Amino acid sequence: MKILNFFNSIYDEDILLKLGFLKRIRLFEGIKKRSLIHVLENLQERTYLKGETIFTQGDIGRALFLVFSGKIALSRLDPATQKSATIAEVNPGEFFGEMALLEEMPRTATACALEETRVFMLFKIKLESLLFTRPKIGVIIASQLASILSARLRAIIDKP
Amino acid sequence: MPNETAAHKKNYSEYLLPVVLVLAGLAFIVMARGAVFPFILSAALAYILNPVVKYFEVRGIKRSYAVTGLYLTAGALISFIIYLLFYFLSFEIEALQQSWPDYAERIQKFLVNLNTTLINKYPFAASLKIDEKLVRYLEAVPPFLIGLLPALTLLFVVPFITFFVLLGGSGLIDYLLDHIPAKHAELMLHIASRIDSSLGNYLRGILTEAFIIFLIAFAGLMLLGLNYAAFIAILIGVSSLVPYLGAIVGAVVSSIVAYFQFEAFMPILKILIFFAGIRFADDWVIQPYIMKKAVKLNPAVILFALLAGGELGGIWGLVFSIPVTCVIKEIVQIAVELQETEFRWKPKPEPTRISIPYT
Repeated sequence: MKILNFFNSIYDEDILLKLGFLKRIRLFEGIKKRSLIHVLENLQERTYLKGETIFTQGDIGRALFLVFSGKIALSRLDPATQKSATIAEVNPGEFFGEMALLEEMPRTATACALEETRVFMLFKIKLESLLFTRPKIGVIIASQLASILSARLRAIIDKP
Repeated sequence: MPNETAAHKKNYSEYLLPVVLVLAGLAFIVMARGAVFPFILSAALAYILNPVVKYFEVRGIKRSYAVTGLYLTAGALISFIIYLLFYFLSFEIEALQQSWPDYAERIQKFLVNLNTTLINKYPFAASLKIDEKLVRYLEAVPPFLIGLLPALTLLFVVPFITFFVLLGGSGLIDYLLDHIPAKHAELMLHIASRIDSSLGNYLRGILTEAFIIFLIAFAGLMLLGLNYAAFIAILIGVSSLVPYLGAIVGAVVSSIVAYFQFEAFMPILKILIFFAGIRFADDWVIQPYIMKKAVKLNPAVILFALLAGGELGGIWGLVFSIPVTCVIKEIVQIAVELQETEFRWKPKPEPTRISIPYT
Protein backbone atom coordinates (compact mmCIF):
# COMPACT_ATOMS: atom_id res chain seq x y z
CA MET A 1 0.00 0.00 0.00
CA LYS A 2 2.87 2.31 0.87
CA ILE A 3 4.46 1.60 -2.53
CA LEU A 4 1.17 2.48 -4.23
CA ASN A 5 1.05 5.77 -2.31
CA PHE A 6 4.64 6.47 -3.32
CA PHE A 7 3.83 5.96 -7.02
CA ASN A 8 0.76 8.15 -6.62
CA SER A 9 2.93 10.89 -5.11
CA ILE A 10 5.36 10.70 -8.07
CA TYR A 11 2.58 11.08 -10.61
CA ASP A 12 1.43 14.54 -11.61
CA GLU A 13 -2.37 14.61 -11.83
CA ASP A 14 -2.33 17.86 -13.80
CA ILE A 15 -0.54 16.21 -16.74
CA LEU A 16 -3.08 13.38 -16.84
CA LEU A 17 -5.84 15.98 -16.87
CA LYS A 18 -4.22 17.82 -19.77
CA LEU A 19 -3.68 14.61 -21.76
CA GLY A 20 -7.31 13.65 -21.17
CA PHE A 21 -8.32 17.10 -22.42
CA LEU A 22 -6.21 16.79 -25.60
CA LYS A 23 -7.75 13.37 -26.29
CA ARG A 24 -11.15 15.05 -26.63
CA ILE A 25 -9.99 17.70 -29.13
CA ARG A 26 -11.18 17.14 -32.71
CA LEU A 27 -7.87 18.40 -34.14
CA PHE A 28 -5.99 15.57 -32.43
CA GLU A 29 -8.50 12.82 -33.23
CA GLY A 30 -6.68 9.68 -34.31
CA ILE A 31 -3.52 10.39 -32.30
CA LYS A 32 -2.80 7.72 -29.70
CA LYS A 33 -2.85 8.88 -26.08
CA ARG A 34 0.81 7.93 -25.75
CA SER A 35 1.69 10.14 -28.72
CA LEU A 36 -0.34 13.05 -27.34
CA ILE A 37 2.59 13.54 -24.96
CA HIS A 38 4.57 14.93 -27.92
CA VAL A 39 1.72 17.29 -28.75
CA LEU A 40 1.60 18.48 -25.15
CA GLU A 41 5.38 19.09 -25.25
CA ASN A 42 4.83 21.51 -28.12
CA LEU A 43 1.96 23.47 -26.60
CA GLN A 44 2.42 26.75 -24.77
CA GLU A 45 0.10 27.46 -21.86
CA ARG A 46 -1.16 30.90 -20.83
CA THR A 47 -3.94 32.31 -18.68
CA TYR A 48 -5.88 35.36 -19.85
CA LEU A 49 -7.81 37.43 -17.34
CA LYS A 50 -11.42 38.46 -17.87
CA GLY A 51 -11.57 41.25 -20.45
CA GLU A 52 -8.05 40.73 -21.83
CA THR A 53 -7.68 40.80 -25.61
CA ILE A 54 -5.92 37.75 -27.00
CA PHE A 55 -5.55 39.20 -30.49
CA THR A 56 -7.12 41.95 -32.50
CA GLN A 57 -8.57 41.80 -36.01
CA GLY A 58 -5.76 42.67 -38.40
CA ASP A 59 -2.95 41.34 -36.15
CA ILE A 60 -0.67 38.80 -37.78
CA GLY A 61 -1.64 35.33 -36.53
CA ARG A 62 1.00 32.86 -35.46
CA ALA A 63 -0.78 30.39 -33.19
CA LEU A 64 -3.88 28.29 -32.82
CA PHE A 65 -5.64 28.60 -29.44
CA LEU A 66 -7.24 25.68 -27.60
CA VAL A 67 -9.55 26.68 -24.77
CA PHE A 68 -8.78 24.55 -21.70
CA SER A 69 -11.08 26.40 -19.30
CA GLY A 70 -13.07 29.64 -19.42
CA LYS A 71 -14.72 31.31 -22.42
CA ILE A 72 -13.56 33.42 -25.35
CA ALA A 73 -15.64 35.79 -27.48
CA LEU A 74 -14.79 36.27 -31.14
CA SER A 75 -15.99 39.54 -32.65
CA ARG A 76 -15.65 41.14 -36.06
CA LEU A 77 -15.66 44.77 -37.03
CA ASP A 78 -18.10 45.63 -39.81
CA PRO A 79 -16.17 48.00 -42.14
CA ALA A 80 -19.41 49.65 -43.33
CA THR A 81 -20.93 50.49 -39.95
CA GLN A 82 -17.64 50.44 -38.00
CA LYS A 83 -19.45 48.41 -35.34
CA SER A 84 -18.12 45.29 -33.75
CA ALA A 85 -20.38 42.27 -33.38
CA THR A 86 -19.77 38.97 -31.58
CA ILE A 87 -19.64 36.20 -34.14
CA ALA A 88 -18.96 33.25 -31.84
CA GLU A 89 -18.17 32.12 -28.33
CA VAL A 90 -15.48 29.50 -27.83
CA ASN A 91 -15.94 27.06 -24.95
CA PRO A 92 -13.57 24.57 -23.28
CA GLY A 93 -12.49 21.83 -25.69
CA GLU A 94 -12.90 24.09 -28.74
CA PHE A 95 -10.25 26.00 -30.66
CA PHE A 96 -9.87 29.10 -32.81
CA GLY A 97 -7.23 30.94 -34.83
CA GLU A 98 -6.43 27.86 -36.94
CA MET A 99 -5.62 29.95 -40.04
CA ALA A 100 -2.38 31.03 -38.35
CA LEU A 101 -1.09 27.46 -38.65
CA LEU A 102 -1.18 27.72 -42.42
CA GLU A 103 -0.08 31.25 -43.20
CA GLU A 104 1.05 34.29 -41.25
CA MET A 105 -1.74 36.58 -42.36
CA PRO A 106 -3.91 39.17 -40.56
CA ARG A 107 -6.51 37.80 -38.14
CA THR A 108 -10.09 38.08 -39.38
CA ALA A 109 -11.61 38.60 -35.91
CA THR A 110 -10.83 39.90 -32.43
CA ALA A 111 -10.61 37.40 -29.55
CA CYS A 112 -11.41 38.53 -26.02
CA ALA A 113 -11.59 36.57 -22.75
CA LEU A 114 -15.12 36.63 -21.28
CA GLU A 115 -13.86 35.14 -18.03
CA GLU A 116 -10.51 33.95 -16.67
CA THR A 117 -9.45 31.60 -19.44
CA ARG A 118 -6.65 29.07 -19.68
CA VAL A 119 -5.53 28.38 -23.23
CA PHE A 120 -2.99 26.19 -24.98
CA MET A 121 -1.26 27.73 -27.98
CA LEU A 122 0.07 25.69 -30.87
CA PHE A 123 2.52 27.84 -32.83
CA LYS A 124 3.07 27.38 -36.56
CA ILE A 125 6.77 26.70 -35.97
CA LYS A 126 5.91 23.95 -33.45
CA LEU A 127 3.50 22.30 -35.91
CA GLU A 128 6.24 22.41 -38.55
CA SER A 129 8.67 20.87 -36.07
CA LEU A 130 6.12 18.10 -35.30
CA LEU A 131 5.67 17.48 -39.03
CA PHE A 132 9.43 16.95 -39.43
CA THR A 133 10.30 15.14 -36.21
CA ARG A 134 7.10 13.13 -35.68
CA PRO A 135 5.48 12.90 -39.12
CA LYS A 136 2.81 10.42 -37.96
CA ILE A 137 1.41 12.98 -35.49
CA GLY A 138 2.03 15.95 -37.79
CA VAL A 139 0.18 14.36 -40.70
CA ILE A 140 -2.86 13.59 -38.53
CA ILE A 141 -3.01 17.21 -37.30
CA ALA A 142 -2.53 18.58 -40.83
CA SER A 143 -5.23 16.35 -42.27
CA GLN A 144 -7.67 17.14 -39.43
CA LEU A 145 -6.90 20.83 -39.90
CA ALA A 146 -7.65 20.59 -43.62
CA SER A 147 -11.00 18.87 -43.04
CA ILE A 148 -11.99 21.37 -40.30
CA LEU A 149 -11.08 24.31 -42.56
CA SER A 150 -13.02 22.79 -45.42
CA ALA A 151 -16.08 22.33 -43.18
CA ARG A 152 -15.85 25.92 -41.92
CA LEU A 153 -15.46 27.22 -45.50
CA ARG A 154 -18.47 25.21 -46.62
CA ALA A 155 -20.48 26.61 -43.72
CA ILE A 156 -19.73 30.17 -44.93
CA ILE A 157 -20.79 29.36 -48.50
CA ASP A 158 -23.95 27.52 -47.39
CA LYS A 159 -24.95 30.44 -45.18
CA PRO A 160 -28.08 32.08 -46.60
CA MET B 1 -6.70 66.78 -28.85
CA PRO B 2 -5.84 67.02 -25.11
CA ASN B 3 -7.36 63.56 -24.70
CA GLU B 4 -5.06 62.23 -27.39
CA THR B 5 -2.01 63.71 -25.62
CA ALA B 6 -3.15 62.14 -22.34
CA ALA B 7 -3.49 58.77 -24.08
CA HIS B 8 0.01 59.15 -25.52
CA LYS B 9 1.40 59.98 -22.07
CA LYS B 10 -0.33 56.96 -20.62
CA ASN B 11 1.15 54.79 -23.36
CA TYR B 12 4.68 55.88 -22.57
CA SER B 13 4.27 55.69 -18.80
CA GLU B 14 3.20 52.05 -18.93
CA TYR B 15 6.64 51.14 -20.32
CA LEU B 16 8.48 53.15 -17.67
CA LEU B 17 8.47 50.52 -14.90
CA PRO B 18 9.59 47.56 -17.06
CA VAL B 19 12.35 49.68 -18.66
CA VAL B 20 13.61 50.90 -15.26
CA LEU B 21 13.53 47.33 -13.90
CA VAL B 22 15.42 45.94 -16.91
CA LEU B 23 18.05 48.72 -16.74
CA ALA B 24 18.48 48.25 -12.98
CA GLY B 25 18.82 44.49 -13.54
CA LEU B 26 21.46 45.01 -16.24
CA ALA B 27 23.39 47.50 -14.06
CA PHE B 28 23.32 45.00 -11.20
CA ILE B 29 24.59 42.19 -13.44
CA VAL B 30 27.47 44.37 -14.71
CA MET B 31 28.44 45.52 -11.21
CA ALA B 32 28.20 42.09 -9.56
CA ARG B 33 29.29 40.06 -12.60
CA GLY B 34 31.65 37.90 -10.53
CA ALA B 35 28.78 36.72 -8.35
CA VAL B 36 26.26 36.53 -11.19
CA PHE B 37 28.53 34.49 -13.46
CA PRO B 38 27.97 31.04 -11.81
CA PHE B 39 24.24 31.72 -12.05
CA ILE B 40 24.52 32.48 -15.77
CA LEU B 41 26.43 29.22 -16.25
CA SER B 42 23.83 27.37 -14.17
CA ALA B 43 21.00 28.86 -16.20
CA ALA B 44 22.78 27.72 -19.39
CA LEU B 45 23.28 24.21 -18.00
CA ALA B 46 19.67 24.07 -16.79
CA TYR B 47 18.55 25.13 -20.28
CA ILE B 48 20.52 22.24 -21.81
CA LEU B 49 19.24 19.71 -19.24
CA ASN B 50 15.64 20.92 -19.20
CA PRO B 51 14.45 18.75 -22.15
CA VAL B 52 15.46 15.63 -20.20
CA VAL B 53 13.39 16.77 -17.20
CA LYS B 54 10.53 17.79 -19.50
CA TYR B 55 10.64 14.37 -21.14
CA PHE B 56 9.64 12.79 -17.82
CA GLU B 57 7.41 15.67 -16.79
CA VAL B 58 5.07 15.34 -19.79
CA ARG B 59 4.90 11.64 -19.03
CA GLY B 60 3.33 12.47 -15.71
CA ILE B 61 6.35 12.36 -13.35
CA LYS B 62 6.46 15.28 -10.92
CA ARG B 63 9.29 17.70 -11.67
CA SER B 64 11.01 17.29 -8.30
CA TYR B 65 11.25 13.51 -8.76
CA ALA B 66 12.41 13.90 -12.37
CA VAL B 67 15.19 16.33 -11.36
CA THR B 68 16.30 14.16 -8.42
CA GLY B 69 16.31 11.08 -10.65
CA LEU B 70 18.31 12.92 -13.29
CA TYR B 71 20.92 14.04 -10.73
CA LEU B 72 21.23 10.55 -9.23
CA THR B 73 21.61 8.95 -12.67
CA ALA B 74 24.01 11.63 -13.91
CA GLY B 75 26.01 11.35 -10.67
CA ALA B 76 26.32 7.59 -11.03
CA LEU B 77 27.22 7.88 -14.72
CA ILE B 78 29.82 10.60 -14.17
CA SER B 79 31.37 8.66 -11.27
CA PHE B 80 31.61 5.61 -13.53
CA ILE B 81 33.16 7.62 -16.38
CA ILE B 82 35.62 9.30 -13.98
CA TYR B 83 36.53 5.90 -12.59
CA LEU B 84 37.11 4.56 -16.11
CA LEU B 85 39.11 7.63 -17.13
CA PHE B 86 41.26 7.41 -14.01
CA TYR B 87 41.76 3.75 -14.71
CA PHE B 88 43.18 4.63 -18.13
CA LEU B 89 44.64 7.99 -17.20
CA SER B 90 46.48 6.81 -14.07
CA PHE B 91 48.70 4.64 -16.25
CA GLU B 92 49.08 7.40 -18.74
CA ILE B 93 49.83 10.12 -16.19
CA GLU B 94 52.42 7.82 -14.64
CA ALA B 95 53.89 7.09 -18.05
CA LEU B 96 53.84 10.76 -18.94
CA GLN B 97 55.57 11.69 -15.69
CA GLN B 98 58.29 9.18 -16.40
CA SER B 99 58.77 10.03 -20.04
CA TRP B 100 58.12 13.78 -19.83
CA PRO B 101 61.78 14.80 -19.20
CA ASP B 102 62.80 12.72 -22.20
CA TYR B 103 60.03 14.26 -24.37
CA ALA B 104 60.83 17.76 -23.16
CA GLU B 105 64.50 17.28 -24.00
CA ARG B 106 63.64 15.99 -27.46
CA ILE B 107 61.24 18.86 -28.11
CA GLN B 108 63.87 21.36 -26.92
CA LYS B 109 66.54 19.75 -29.09
CA PHE B 110 64.21 19.75 -32.06
CA LEU B 111 63.40 23.43 -31.55
CA VAL B 112 67.07 24.40 -31.08
CA ASN B 113 68.00 22.51 -34.27
CA LEU B 114 65.12 24.12 -36.14
CA ASN B 115 66.19 27.55 -34.89
CA THR B 116 69.85 26.97 -35.87
CA THR B 117 68.86 25.74 -39.33
CA LEU B 118 66.58 28.74 -39.78
CA ILE B 119 69.29 31.21 -38.71
CA ASN B 120 71.86 29.50 -40.92
CA LYS B 121 69.58 29.64 -43.95
CA TYR B 122 67.94 32.99 -43.26
CA PRO B 123 70.18 35.15 -41.04
CA PHE B 124 67.42 37.73 -40.54
CA ALA B 125 65.53 35.08 -38.48
CA ALA B 126 68.05 35.66 -35.66
CA SER B 127 66.59 39.11 -35.13
CA LEU B 128 63.18 37.52 -34.51
CA LYS B 129 64.58 35.75 -31.39
CA ILE B 130 62.24 32.79 -31.83
CA ASP B 131 63.92 30.72 -29.11
CA GLU B 132 63.51 33.47 -26.49
CA LYS B 133 59.85 33.88 -27.40
CA LEU B 134 59.24 30.13 -27.15
CA VAL B 135 60.87 30.00 -23.73
CA ARG B 136 58.65 32.89 -22.63
CA TYR B 137 55.54 31.02 -23.87
CA LEU B 138 56.60 27.84 -22.10
CA GLU B 139 57.19 29.78 -18.88
CA ALA B 140 53.71 31.25 -19.17
CA VAL B 141 52.06 27.81 -19.22
CA PRO B 142 52.18 27.00 -15.45
CA PRO B 143 50.68 30.37 -14.33
CA PHE B 144 47.96 29.91 -16.98
CA LEU B 145 47.14 26.47 -15.58
CA ILE B 146 47.08 27.85 -12.01
CA GLY B 147 44.78 30.61 -13.27
CA LEU B 148 42.34 27.92 -14.35
CA LEU B 149 42.06 26.56 -10.79
CA PRO B 150 39.31 28.97 -9.62
CA ALA B 151 37.25 27.65 -12.53
CA LEU B 152 37.36 24.25 -10.78
CA THR B 153 35.21 25.59 -7.94
CA LEU B 154 32.56 26.22 -10.61
CA LEU B 155 32.45 22.44 -11.11
CA PHE B 156 30.86 22.17 -7.66
CA VAL B 157 28.93 25.43 -7.46
CA VAL B 158 27.28 25.26 -10.90
CA PRO B 159 25.62 21.80 -10.55
CA PHE B 160 24.39 22.86 -7.09
CA ILE B 161 22.70 26.02 -8.40
CA THR B 162 21.49 24.18 -11.52
CA PHE B 163 19.64 21.71 -9.31
CA PHE B 164 17.53 24.50 -7.84
CA VAL B 165 17.07 26.24 -11.18
CA LEU B 166 15.77 22.95 -12.62
CA LEU B 167 13.51 22.38 -9.61
CA GLY B 168 11.99 25.83 -10.10
CA GLY B 169 11.47 24.95 -13.75
CA SER B 170 10.19 27.56 -16.12
CA GLY B 171 8.33 29.21 -13.23
CA LEU B 172 10.07 32.57 -13.57
CA ILE B 173 9.74 32.61 -17.37
CA ASP B 174 6.06 31.61 -17.12
CA TYR B 175 5.52 34.40 -14.58
CA LEU B 176 7.10 36.94 -16.95
CA LEU B 177 5.12 35.62 -19.92
CA ASP B 178 1.90 35.79 -17.92
CA HIS B 179 2.66 39.42 -17.10
CA ILE B 180 3.51 40.76 -20.53
CA PRO B 181 0.58 42.68 -22.02
CA ALA B 182 -1.92 40.18 -23.44
CA LYS B 183 -1.96 41.84 -26.87
CA HIS B 184 1.80 41.25 -27.29
CA ALA B 185 1.83 37.76 -25.76
CA GLU B 186 1.38 35.87 -29.04
CA LEU B 187 4.22 37.71 -30.78
CA MET B 188 6.52 37.45 -27.74
CA LEU B 189 5.85 33.72 -27.37
CA HIS B 190 6.39 33.26 -31.11
CA ILE B 191 9.80 34.96 -30.87
CA ALA B 192 10.69 33.03 -27.69
CA SER B 193 9.74 29.68 -29.21
CA ARG B 194 11.69 30.45 -32.41
CA ILE B 195 14.85 31.30 -30.44
CA ASP B 196 14.32 28.35 -28.11
CA SER B 197 13.92 25.92 -31.02
CA SER B 198 17.03 26.99 -32.90
CA LEU B 199 19.29 27.55 -29.88
CA GLY B 200 18.13 24.40 -28.11
CA ASN B 201 18.62 22.28 -31.21
CA TYR B 202 22.07 23.79 -31.80
CA LEU B 203 23.31 23.30 -28.24
CA ARG B 204 21.95 19.78 -27.83
CA GLY B 205 23.21 18.89 -31.31
CA ILE B 206 26.71 20.18 -30.78
CA LEU B 207 27.03 18.49 -27.36
CA THR B 208 25.85 15.14 -28.75
CA GLU B 209 28.22 15.55 -31.70
CA ALA B 210 31.17 16.29 -29.38
CA PHE B 211 30.36 13.22 -27.28
CA ILE B 212 30.10 10.94 -30.33
CA ILE B 213 33.40 12.27 -31.72
CA PHE B 214 35.03 11.69 -28.30
CA LEU B 215 33.83 8.06 -28.31
CA ILE B 216 34.96 7.41 -31.89
CA ALA B 217 38.34 9.08 -31.27
CA PHE B 218 38.87 7.16 -28.03
CA ALA B 219 38.01 3.79 -29.60
CA GLY B 220 40.06 4.51 -32.74
CA LEU B 221 43.17 5.73 -30.94
CA MET B 222 43.04 2.77 -28.56
CA LEU B 223 42.86 0.42 -31.56
CA LEU B 224 45.77 2.23 -33.21
CA GLY B 225 47.72 1.65 -29.99
CA LEU B 226 48.57 5.29 -29.46
CA ASN B 227 49.75 6.42 -26.01
CA TYR B 228 47.58 8.88 -24.04
CA ALA B 229 44.47 7.92 -26.08
CA ALA B 230 42.14 9.00 -23.25
CA PHE B 231 43.88 12.39 -22.91
CA ILE B 232 43.79 13.07 -26.63
CA ALA B 233 40.17 11.86 -26.98
CA ILE B 234 39.05 14.27 -24.21
CA LEU B 235 40.96 17.07 -25.93
CA ILE B 236 39.30 16.22 -29.26
CA GLY B 237 35.84 15.99 -27.66
CA VAL B 238 36.19 19.39 -26.01
CA SER B 239 37.74 21.06 -29.04
CA SER B 240 35.05 19.70 -31.37
CA LEU B 241 32.61 22.03 -29.58
CA VAL B 242 34.27 24.53 -31.92
CA PRO B 243 33.30 23.49 -35.44
CA TYR B 244 36.15 22.00 -37.55
CA LEU B 245 38.62 22.30 -34.66
CA GLY B 246 38.15 18.82 -33.17
CA ALA B 247 39.56 16.79 -36.05
CA ILE B 248 42.37 19.30 -36.69
CA VAL B 249 43.47 19.32 -33.03
CA GLY B 250 43.14 15.53 -32.95
CA ALA B 251 45.19 15.04 -36.11
CA VAL B 252 47.98 17.44 -34.99
CA VAL B 253 48.29 16.22 -31.39
CA SER B 254 48.00 12.53 -32.32
CA SER B 255 50.57 12.92 -35.11
CA ILE B 256 53.05 14.53 -32.70
CA VAL B 257 52.50 11.78 -30.12
CA ALA B 258 52.76 9.10 -32.84
CA TYR B 259 56.01 10.65 -34.12
CA PHE B 260 57.61 10.40 -30.69
CA GLN B 261 56.12 6.98 -29.93
CA PHE B 262 56.72 5.09 -33.17
CA GLU B 263 59.34 7.25 -34.90
CA ALA B 264 57.95 6.05 -38.23
CA PHE B 265 55.83 7.52 -40.99
CA MET B 266 53.17 4.80 -41.37
CA PRO B 267 51.43 5.26 -37.97
CA ILE B 268 51.19 9.01 -38.63
CA LEU B 269 49.61 8.31 -42.02
CA LYS B 270 47.13 5.91 -40.37
CA ILE B 271 46.24 8.56 -37.80
CA LEU B 272 45.78 11.23 -40.46
CA ILE B 273 43.52 8.88 -42.47
CA PHE B 274 41.59 8.09 -39.28
CA PHE B 275 40.98 11.78 -38.55
CA ALA B 276 40.07 12.50 -42.16
CA GLY B 277 37.55 9.68 -41.74
CA ILE B 278 36.18 11.30 -38.55
CA ARG B 279 35.89 14.64 -40.38
CA PHE B 280 33.95 13.11 -43.29
CA ALA B 281 31.77 10.98 -40.98
CA ASP B 282 31.03 14.15 -39.01
CA ASP B 283 30.15 16.11 -42.17
CA TRP B 284 28.17 13.42 -43.97
CA VAL B 285 26.60 11.28 -41.22
CA ILE B 286 26.65 12.85 -37.74
CA GLN B 287 25.91 16.48 -38.61
CA PRO B 288 23.10 15.88 -41.13
CA TYR B 289 21.42 13.55 -38.65
CA ILE B 290 21.91 15.46 -35.37
CA MET B 291 22.00 19.05 -36.57
CA LYS B 292 19.23 18.87 -39.17
CA LYS B 293 16.96 21.21 -37.20
CA ALA B 294 19.69 23.51 -35.90
CA VAL B 295 20.58 26.97 -37.19
CA LYS B 296 22.99 26.82 -40.09
CA LEU B 297 25.96 29.07 -39.43
CA ASN B 298 28.53 29.92 -42.05
CA PRO B 299 32.06 28.79 -41.02
CA ALA B 300 33.31 32.36 -41.57
CA VAL B 301 30.61 33.66 -39.21
CA ILE B 302 31.59 31.00 -36.66
CA LEU B 303 35.24 32.04 -36.88
CA PHE B 304 34.37 35.73 -36.53
CA ALA B 305 32.08 34.95 -33.56
CA LEU B 306 34.83 32.96 -31.86
CA LEU B 307 37.43 35.70 -32.36
CA ALA B 308 35.03 38.40 -31.18
CA GLY B 309 33.93 36.26 -28.21
CA GLY B 310 37.53 35.61 -27.22
CA GLU B 311 38.35 39.31 -27.52
CA LEU B 312 35.35 40.38 -25.43
CA GLY B 313 35.18 37.68 -22.79
CA GLY B 314 38.27 35.46 -22.89
CA ILE B 315 37.71 31.72 -22.56
CA TRP B 316 34.05 32.14 -21.48
CA GLY B 317 33.54 34.53 -24.37
CA LEU B 318 34.62 31.67 -26.63
CA VAL B 319 32.19 29.27 -24.95
CA PHE B 320 29.24 31.62 -25.27
CA SER B 321 30.11 33.10 -28.68
CA ILE B 322 28.36 30.46 -30.82
CA PRO B 323 25.07 30.30 -28.81
CA VAL B 324 24.93 34.11 -28.76
CA THR B 325 25.52 34.18 -32.53
CA CYS B 326 22.66 31.68 -32.93
CA VAL B 327 20.34 33.97 -30.98
CA ILE B 328 21.46 37.04 -32.96
CA LYS B 329 20.94 35.24 -36.27
CA GLU B 330 17.45 34.11 -35.26
CA ILE B 331 16.54 37.63 -34.05
CA VAL B 332 17.74 39.16 -37.34
CA GLN B 333 15.74 36.57 -39.28
CA ILE B 334 12.61 37.27 -37.19
CA ALA B 335 13.13 41.02 -37.65
CA VAL B 336 13.27 40.62 -41.43
CA GLU B 337 10.15 38.43 -41.36
CA LEU B 338 8.35 41.00 -39.18
CA GLN B 339 9.11 43.67 -41.78
CA GLU B 340 7.43 41.45 -44.35
CA THR B 341 4.40 40.44 -42.28
CA GLU B 342 3.69 43.15 -39.69
CA PHE B 343 4.75 46.13 -41.79
CA ARG B 344 3.85 44.61 -45.18
CA TRP B 345 7.08 45.66 -46.85
CA LYS B 346 6.94 42.75 -49.19
CA PRO B 347 3.55 41.43 -50.32
CA LYS B 348 3.15 37.69 -49.89
CA PRO B 349 2.67 35.75 -53.10
CA GLU B 350 -0.63 33.90 -53.36
CA PRO B 351 -0.18 30.12 -53.05
CA THR B 352 -2.70 29.63 -55.89
CA ARG B 353 -5.21 31.65 -57.93
CA ILE B 354 -7.71 32.36 -55.18
CA SER B 355 -10.33 33.68 -57.58
CA ILE B 356 -11.16 30.05 -58.46
CA PRO B 357 -14.23 29.46 -56.27
CA TYR B 358 -14.43 26.83 -53.52
CA THR B 359 -16.06 23.76 -55.05
